Parts: sequence; structure tokens; C-alpha cells
Amino acid sequence: MTDIFTSKLSKSYEDVLAVNSLDLSINNEIYGLLGPNGSGKTTTVGMLTTLLSPSSGNAQVCGHDVTTEPKTVRECISYVPQYMAVDIRLTGRENIDFYAKLYGIRDKSERKKRIDYALDIMDLNDRADDLTKTYSGGMQRRLELAQALTHQPKVLFLDEPTVGLDVIARKMIWEHIADLKKNGITIFVTTHQMEEAERYCDRVGILKKGVVVKEGTPSHLKSALKSIITIKSDGKMPNILPDNVDFIGNENGSVVYASDNGADMLPSLIKKYDEAGIRVYSSMVRDPTLEDIYLMSVGTETVDTEQFNRAQIRRIIMKG
Amino acid sequence: MYRFATYVWRDTIRWKRAPLNVLSTLAMPAAWLIFMGLVMPVKYDNYLDFVTPGILVLTMLTSSLGAGSSIMFDKTLGYLNKFLALPSPRESILIGKIVFITLRGLMQSTVILIISILIGATIYPISTYIGMYILLTLFGISISALGTTVALYLDNHDSYAAFQAFVSMPLYFASTALIPMNEMPDALRYIAEFNPLTYAIDGIRDIAQGIIPTFSICFLIILAILIMIVCSWKFRSITIG
Repeated sequence: MTDIFTSKLSKSYEDVLAVNSLDLSINNEIYGLLGPNGSGKTTTVGMLTTLLSPSSGNAQVCGHDVTTEPKTVRECISYVPQYMAVDIRLTGRENIDFYAKLYGIRDKSERKKRIDYALDIMDLNDRADDLTKTYSGGMQRRLELAQALTHQPKVLFLDEPTVGLDVIARKMIWEHIADLKKNGITIFVTTHQMEEAERYCDRVGILKKGVVVKEGTPSHLKSALKSIITIKSDGKMPNILPDNVDFIGNENGSVVYASDNGADMLPSLIKKYDEAGIRVYSSMVRDPTLEDIYLMSVGTETVDTEQFNRAQIRRIIMKG
Repeated sequence: MYRFATYVWRDTIRWKRAPLNVLSTLAMPAAWLIFMGLVMPVKYDNYLDFVTPGILVLTMLTSSLGAGSSIMFDKTLGYLNKFLALPSPRESILIGKIVFITLRGLMQSTVILIISILIGATIYPISTYIGMYILLTLFGISISALGTTVALYLDNHDSYAAFQAFVSMPLYFASTALIPMNEMPDALRYIAEFNPLTYAIDGIRDIAQGIIPTFSICFLIILAILIMIVCSWKFRSITIG
């Protein structure tokens, strides 16, 4: 049985095709779905977690169809949405207890056992009886993961799990996620953080306008590019590039090129800049990263079709 | 049963731990009662006895409309999505909200009844109070179900606040809360005759006089059932889009 399996899964909103013929097959791994805002990540997660119904195609989670057996699907999954939603006037323990009860664990001693386990695995024991409003962002996120673990899910869906967290908290969250995978949980995560995806995901899929344009292990995807040249200049780039050098995008004010042999091609590329009369401030040859693959796959156009959402702004203000 | 009780438990703790909320829920109705009951010119033998049912129903109305803003919070802060992805029946979210809000309204009603007695209202036999609570419960369920349904349609707090203001004041003044039906101008009376508040208020007054208000009770039961049907249908259709 495949934990997550989709075939030609599509979702359209009126005339917009948000997810287009998605085929996924995911099993006991950390799978990262990457893509720009509005590329269909959240819609995909919505369909897999039974929050949205597919327009066509089918999806199975834990061997059950999301449309015909939504309740059975919900019994074997946990979903942690992008925006943190822990009850700040409840203690950490009460927050988990609340979910444990909703998952239908009625036996008090069994519930206590599971809560203690979840607190323990997320390193929240010391602060379990404090009100959640005194928790840091990282702790609140860990609490959400702890809530999600009480019913021992087979598949865990995480929407942007590290958004808004500092470096150390991010690292901690990912280490916990990696531990969960070792315990046999399949993890489906959406993220914008390329370095994190590169380091922690077993496989990634890059989504562009509802279509998976690249899929594979980060190292396999990176092997498609030999080397990367980045050039910082006074803003323009030459119209004509040497053969074997491809423009892939912009990054921190530099132009990024891919080449089979960056070290050899760098002088001829700089020569093109000279010929075009563009001043080069600095240049560098480096190994490709997942971010390069991502930029190459989705292009540099900003695909921002997400509606400006007042509620999100308010949420940010309230959290502050 | 167990699941919706869990949602009630959660809302209760959240409410209990915000002292200002508790204070305002309990002090507001008291203030209404004291201002309306004692300050208004006394034209009747006991205006307090006349106006208390109105204040009870007004309190139930404002309190029950709060169900909508409560579910709006859950919606905009992302709780609702988490709840919907749980295996527990989705309707239990709705029922939990309605039960919590109605219970909270009944608690406020109790405060009003106690204060009204302290400042000179008639003390009735226990059965009268039971009758009043039954009517208030039916009314509370209808209004909180209405509030949650409307909140599911709207997408932010501002719109819901507008709805709340738009609905509560006119409904209140176009009811028999402050003046009896036969003393109303014609235009107002037509509205008052279709106003659920009128049925709740007059029903409570009948009970106070020892009459069983069969029509009011039937009207409120039918209203509660109708709104609950629309509400759960709407909830189902909105949560699977």
C-alpha cells in the first residue's frame, strides 16, 4: 500500500486550474512540495487532507479514497496548517489533551500516556503546564506537532512548518520531523525554504502552476546541473551568451547561469559582458543547489496569484 | 456527544481564563437591567417585572450572536481548518459552539434574574423559572445557530460586526421588550408580530403569569429546528469545497 497516491488529481476554481493532473506516489519518506505562492501547494494539501474535494482524478491516503472514505483518511493522518493555531489560554498539556479527546481517545490513562509521549518527543516536558501564550514561536510549533502525534498518524501533512521561526528553532523542528520519519511516519511537507528541503527531504516535487515540473531526490535533481556561475554587475546582462551557458535567474542582485563547466566558461562569459560594455563587479563559480534547480524550473516571474488576505495580516498583528 | 463536549470544554476554559470577558458577560446584563428597570419612568405597577423578560431576551440575543464571532475567530485564526481535518464528526464543531454559547447566555440570564429579585422584582415558583429557561434555551439555540451560519458565509470580523449591529438593535426595538404590543404604533406592530424576540419575550411574560405559552413554544421550536437544518447543511457544504 502506498501512503499517498494520486492519479490525474485536479482542482479548479471557476476558470482557474489550481492543480492540474497531479500524479504522486509517496511512501515512508519526507516528501517536500516546493513551488511559488499560488502554484497549488495548499490546494494539493487541502485535497489530500479532505478539506477540499478534487474536481477530477483520484487520491488515496493510507489506501483510502479521499472522496469516498474521508473519515477513514482523517483517522490515519494529521494536518498542521501554515498559520499556528494553538489555544494561548490553554496550557501545553491541555492543548494536546483537547486534540487527544477529539481523536476519540476516551480512556484517561491511555490519554495521559500518549500526551506524555508527545510532550517528551517534542521536548516540551518542562513547560507542559504553562499557558501556551508564554511559549516561543518554535515551542508553539512543536506543540502543534505534539498535538498531531497523539493519535499515532501514519501520514503527517505540514504546511510551511518553519515559517516565521529563527534558525535554531527551524533546525530543531526539522530534526523532530526527521525523527518522526524514523518512527515510520510518512511526512508530506510544503515549503519555500530551499536549503531546508535540500537538507531534510528525501524527495521533492517542484510545482509550477499546478503541475509537477520536476521530481526526485535533491541530489538527483542537482545532478542535472554541473556548475553555477553567478555574476554581479551594474544591473544588465549581455544579450548574447556563450554556448553552454544558460541564464536561470536572479539571486540577491546577481545573475545566475548554469553551465556544464563553469570554471572554463567563466572567462568567455565575462568577455561577453565586456563586449556589451557592462561592468562586472564580482563573479563566482559554485556547485548547484536545489534553489538553482527551483529557479530554473519555475522561472523568475513572480507567480503571485494568492489573494491579499486581510485576515492574514490581522493574524500576524495579533501574534505579534 | 463526547466530541462536542470537548469543544464546549475548550471554549469554556478559554472564556474562563479571560477575566475581562467574564466580567463583561456578567456586568453588561446587570447594567441593562438596572438602567432600564430603575431609571425608566415608571408607568406600570411594576415596570421591573415587565421589563425583565425583555432584558433576559436581549441578553440572550447579544450573547448568542457572539457564537458567530467565536466561529469567525476559529476560521480566521486557522483553528477551524485543523478541526475539519480531524476524524471527529464535523457537525460536533457546530453543536459544541451552539451549546457553549447557549449555556453562557443562560448563565447571564441567571445573573439578571438574581439581580432583578434583589432590586424588587416578584419572586416566582421554581416551575416558572424552569419554563423561562426552556424558552430562553430555544431562543438561544436559534440565534446562535443563525449567528454561526452567517459567520460561515462572511469572511471577516468587520462584516460580521456589521451584521450583528444591523440585526440586534432593530430586532430589539421592534419587539415587545420595552412596550406592550397594544401600545405600539401600527408600523412597528407589524414588524413586532413577526419578530422571534416578541415570541420569546411574550412567552416569558405569559409564564410569569402562570399561562403556558403553547404558541410561542411551538414557534421557537420550529424556528430552532429550521435554522439548525440550514446551518448544518451550510456547514457541510462550506467545509468541503
